[in-house]
Amino acid sequence: MSFYDYANLTGNDAMQYLRAAGVTLYITLMSLLIGTILGVVLGLIRCSKNKVISILPLILIEPLRNSPLVTQLFLIFYGLPIIGGIMLDPFPAAILALSLNTAAFMAVLVHNSVSAIPQGQWEAGLALGHSRGSTFIHVISRQALRLLVPQAITLYISQLQCSSLVALIGIMDLTKLGQNLALRTLKPFLIYGIVFLIYYVISSPLSRLAKSLEKKLSFHY
Amino acid sequence: MYKLNFNFLERYGDMLLDGMKMTVIIVAWCLVIGLVLGTVMALLKQSKVRILRIFATVYVDILRNTPFLVQLFFFFYGLPALGIQTDAMATAVIALGINTSAQNCEIIRSGLLAVKKDYYECSGALGYTKMQTLWYFVLPISFRLAFKSLVNNFINLVLTSSVCFSITVVETMGAAKIIVGRTSRPFEIYLMILLCYCVFTYIISFIAKLVDRKIHIVL
Repeated sequence: MSFYDYANLTGNDAMQYLRAAGVTLYITLMSLLIGTILGVVLGLIRCSKNKVISILPLILIEPLRNSPLVTQLFLIFYGLPIIGGIMLDPFPAAILALSLNTAAFMAVLVHNSVSAIPQGQWEAGLALGHSRGSTFIHVISRQALRLLVPQAITLYISQLQCSSLVALIGIMDLTKLGQNLALRTLKPFLIYGIVFLIYYVISSPLSRLAKSLEKKLSFHY
Repeated sequence: MYKLNFNFLERYGDMLLDGMKMTVIIVAWCLVIGLVLGTVMALLKQSKVRILRIFATVYVDILRNTPFLVQLFFFFYGLPALGIQTDAMATAVIALGINTSAQNCEIIRSGLLAVKKDYYECSGALGYTKMQTLWYFVLPISFRLAFKSLVNNFINLVLTSSVCFSITVVETMGAAKIIVGRTSRPFEIYLMILLCYCVFTYIISFIAKLVDRKIHIVL
């Protein structure tokens, strides 16, 4: 008895697995791209010297960080069409929710790593005649980046796993496919095992990378 | 212009409250399971027996690198295939507890590693056995060191528990979904749930800050 017979799977299902993995990757990458850009902007505003301006991003960041992603997703997917008449397809809704969520966490990481740079570095830059902006670009940002990168990768991994939640609004990603196939073949262990494996293969190298980068990039004053 | 309308609270407020109670119950169980299993796994990861070490490493590695939703489905649809009858609530608690334990394991382990060798030597000199050293010296210290990160994990656990509605557990999010189905006012309801979770996590982190001030130590 071959493997396909045992699992009630066909060659087509293997293709579907690949396609679903593609969907998961597409959603994750898009939302990470948008989220990172937005998050860096928000994080830099958060670092502003003006107290009022620096507090403004918190209005967006705090609710996003302190509420479940599912709720945000449902609020955007089911709520927006009713309140604003904006009909969103599942795909844009999922990417919007995930990227807003990523942006909130990213902003906090950016703010943390910039404020972790000692004040002395700022003073040194200013004493050498740099302006504040120039000090930031040439002195602070490089050191902050070293702190930021490993944490950002960890965040990316967790966002990859959060992207499985888009199955709940009907997108055919890996999780949804696993659900469908498990119902059809009645072999949940096998089907979900394969889904686990695909997620693991994508995210495990990333987490190794984060760990080794953390060791490599860490420094002391 | 769309007008917000919160009239549904009158009729369905109790339902939401029941859902919140359910969330609290799930989270409380998972907190206990997660802490106990997490500590055990952290200790196994440092054990001298190679097989135990490998087991703990693989356990944590797999659970941290796969989405919680898939784990939940795995338990919910997988256990009956083995002939174990489960109800949704128990499955949710088990899956979430195991997931939390993997997250906690790393944090507790970093706490364990921060306890210096001197402490082991001191307690040995005082005549404590290995188990006593662990129980009276090492664990309390490492929990205090890891407290902040553990609280972060706990907040994460509260947020993740909302996923459990997908296997028909009626907790906050599940109740919200039912109410949406009956009133078709998704925006107000989900907005309210979102704010409820915010308030809940703020309360937790406020209490945690107070506790942290009491038990904070520097090694």
